[in-house]
Amino acid sequence: MATTTPPTTMALSRRTRGRLQQLVQHVPAYAILILWSAFTLFAIGWIAMSSLKSTRQLFQEPLALPPEPRFENYDIAWNAVDMSRYFLNSVIVVSISVVLILLISAPAAYVLSRIKFRGSNALTTIFTAGMGIPYPLLFIPLFALMLDLHLTNSLPGLILVYVSLSLPFTIYILTGFFITLPSELEDAAVIDGCSDYQVYWKIMLPLASPGMLTAAIFNFIGLWNEYQLALVFANTEKTRTLSLGLYALRNALQYTGDWASLFAGIVIIMVPTVVIYVVLSEKMISGITMGSSK
Amino acid sequence: MRARTRLILTFLFPASLLYIVFFIYPALRALYTSFFDWSGFSDNARFTGLDNYRQLYRDDLFIESMSNTLTILIAGGIIVFGLAFALTILLNSGIRGRKLFRAVIFLPNIVAVIALTTMWSVAIYHPRFGLLKNGLAYLGLESWSTILFTSPQNIFKSMMAAIIWINVGFYVVLLMAGIDKIPTELYEAAKIDGANQVQMFYKITVPLLWDVITVGIVLWSINALKIFEFPFAFTALEPSPNTYTVAVYLYVMGFGQRTPIYRLGYATAMGVVLVLTVILVVIVLRRVMRREVIQY
Repeated sequence: MATTTPPTTMALSRRTRGRLQQLVQHVPAYAILILWSAFTLFAIGWIAMSSLKSTRQLFQEPLALPPEPRFENYDIAWNAVDMSRYFLNSVIVVSISVVLILLISAPAAYVLSRIKFRGSNALTTIFTAGMGIPYPLLFIPLFALMLDLHLTNSLPGLILVYVSLSLPFTIYILTGFFITLPSELEDAAVIDGCSDYQVYWKIMLPLASPGMLTAAIFNFIGLWNEYQLALVFANTEKTRTLSLGLYALRNALQYTGDWASLFAGIVIIMVPTVVIYVVLSEKMISGITMGSSK
Repeated sequence: MRARTRLILTFLFPASLLYIVFFIYPALRALYTSFFDWSGFSDNARFTGLDNYRQLYRDDLFIESMSNTLTILIAGGIIVFGLAFALTILLNSGIRGRKLFRAVIFLPNIVAVIALTTMWSVAIYHPRFGLLKNGLAYLGLESWSTILFTSPQNIFKSMMAAIIWINVGFYVVLLMAGIDKIPTELYEAAKIDGANQVQMFYKITVPLLWDVITVGIVLWSINALKIFEFPFAFTALEPSPNTYTVAVYLYVMGFGQRTPIYRLGYATAMGVVLVLTVILVVIVLRRVMRREVIQY
């Protein structure tokens, strides 16, 4: 029965010693990694902590915990500029854009990666080449175009710009994903009499859902944080997104020097993406190399 | 077969339409506009040929913006990749919690740039309650703690530090994913043959990672050349000329900040120069990186 002998104290101590040795060997690595990570976490944590202090406490004891949490700062940040409107604008613009981006990019990526036709490679190159174009090049001509279409400083206009300019990157990651899918299921479905459309909707799209999720996360975070296109195409009181709102808040609080409330504004804009990141970081991180796996 | 053609066309149509109208057309239009002296959105554009480009060459602020942009590209790139490589090696040295460390190092990439600029310019560099000042004072480095990190002569370096901190995480993730694809048998075999860590790094890791490194450097180059958001928002109210990049100067010329300038043709010419720089850098990189690969 007793085939497994319990480890003797000797063996145990040898194992612990080995582990200790390994730990000692890795001390420099741990030290550097902990230092780097601690800096990042501390800076962000300090902002969250300071957002609950008064600005006077911030000046007097920058590193001390708030004596009692001051939630008024969030009130000030929310109301010094029209944050609730900006927050709502961001939610509307980003969610509609992400849905449209996927609806438009996925079929294109599917055709470009799964169906052989003349010029398909050239077309893929043309689509993905857009990733190399710096947006500032487009600022003026695109603004003139949007002006002609009466779409400047409007949320639909901003959505249109976001969707169009996100296509190269999204098509790039989705083609990278579609290409890795096995073709057996596709072939079997065709033999069973499925039309090309059915193959796409019923077979390929469900198979590609992890890739679609990754593309959705990237676009959501990217657009939620987006700043320069919003600045050019929607920088009015009514159409500002949260990023522009935070910039406006910073300029408004600059004069009163109410830094603690500004930190509350930073926390407001950070929370949604940080929550998504905490839940889905592995998904995101694995997605970074997805497009380049071809 | 005809049904398939119809599928190809319907599936490609929406993406192509948007891409052509809102991306390709404005890009080509930019090239055209750059040959005009144009001050507004009415029809007062005057054809001036290469005049805008000639003026750019003589514009000190443009030269400074370009030099700042190239400093970020080259000096920033070397530091970002150096640090990313170092951290990746440490993460792969057999320590525990590598995924957790990686997730934290990547974290700045998911925070809004506007929040990060405020975090650095206010929380970290503030001359009174700033973390850096207090941290240095805490360590007893009193003389360093009095440095004004956002003064005109220091602000560019201070900004670089922040940009590097943000970007390192992205390239750590990229390099780590590449290393994870290298079969471990190679390292085991090398170890049996008596290779040390340094030899394994140069003979196995670097050559097999070459494609990933190339993609990474191309990505960095494109992103560094078009950098706008961080320099634009790093200083409050108006971007400081000390931190101008080409993209920021373009915006100031085209849309103005407090005082609109509206030199649209001139601003667009900067965009064209930017694209040409991207193309040139990518071509050069492809050449350089390809030659290295043949050596192995």
